[in-house]
Amino acid sequence: MNPRKLLIASLSLGFALAGAGQALAVEQVSKDTAQQTVDVGGTVANLCILGTPSQTSINVGQMVDTSTTNVGRITTIGNQTVSLPGSFCNFAGTHLTVTADALLAQDTSTVQPGFSRAVNFTSTVTTWANTPPVVTTAATLNGGTPTASGFGGDQGAPKLTDLTLTLSQFHTGGGDNLLLVAGGYTGSVTITLGPSAAE
Amino acid sequence: MKRLLTITTLIASAAFASAAHAQEGGSVATSTSSVGPMPVTGNVPAMCSSGPITGGDNVFAVGLLIDTATGLLLQNLTAPPKTISASFCNSRSDITITATPLVAQNFTGDAPTNFSKSVDFTATASGWTDSPAVTNTAAATNPNATQTRSSPFTGPITVSVSNFTTTGGSNLLMVADTLYQGSVTVTLAVAS
Repeated sequence: MNPRKLLIASLSLGFALAGAGQALAVEQVSKDTAQQTVDVGGTVANLCILGTPSQTSINVGQMVDTSTTNVGRITTIGNQTVSLPGSFCNFAGTHLTVTADALLAQDTSTVQPGFSRAVNFTSTVTTWANTPPVVTTAATLNGGTPTASGFGGDQGAPKLTDLTLTLSQFHTGGGDNLLLVAGGYTGSVTITLGPSAAE
Repeated sequence: MKRLLTITTLIASAAFASAAHAQEGGSVATSTSSVGPMPVTGNVPAMCSSGPITGGDNVFAVGLLIDTATGLLLQNLTAPPKTISASFCNSRSDITITATPLVAQNFTGDAPTNFSKSVDFTATASGWTDSPAVTNTAAATNPNATQTRSSPFTGPITVSVSNFTTTGGSNLLMVADTLYQGSVTVTLAVAS
């Protein structure tokens, strides 16, 4: 057999065995022929990708009661949801992390008695592992300690799914009986998908 | 052989191409994906609200206005103060007090010569600002009737009446009437 032809045949075999690493072997198959095998290898990186969120910000709107006996105090704020379609990790042992910052008034002046400048909320992301990450901010009435993080359970296999971020349970820092100072309020939520061992 | 190995390397590289944060040196890369910080926003409109009036009712009961021996206005007229509770403004605010004189409600026409049918007084709203808001019904202008508070506030407002004087002069007699009535108004408003 022509050695060049044998070499090409072995190369095709090497494609079929991808992942075996790169190797070069020369085998004497008969007195007048020679065979060379080249394995073709590759790797697929551990990869987690969160889908593009359905919205890049969340505006809960006007947050206080304006007409009842509860006027000036926090009103019922409905759940806010953001979808992240096509989120995936291609390896096992991953989890979600959610970090949230409470809504704080842009007015940073000293908070007067009877008032608060913070609105806390609960964030969760479903569904990745059996246990979703849940975090509730616990900012004080003057805006202290606004940041909180929570981890979800371990996902034991690669997974592709549509994730949903839900914000709920909006409450006034220091207690719902406090009045909220006027003005704009800003907080944030960060979602991270990655290996469980990294935390 | 050199050519074949080059092809192999290209194939392996293609496998890495889609992996973010791929590491070099042969170890398997691991990526973490994050979204955010995603802003969460809300707003609270500037507002003021006044609570109920405490202190019995919403009437300053001054009682009998004149000295029955002289027919002139009593000099020691008083009435218990009223309290407006549970008021608040969640931003910079103005408190304004206005008042109208006590005027005979049943007597018609102008008061006869040497008589008056009206009683002026001073009204004061305190507790909201360092300097109380003050107005007098006899004054042409009341520059202290409006006071500004720079911070949000909630607390009781005490409203009092004092310094009763006969409209037109203290030497005037008061016409008889079963009801002299005036008013006091306290206003809280968001200040610019």
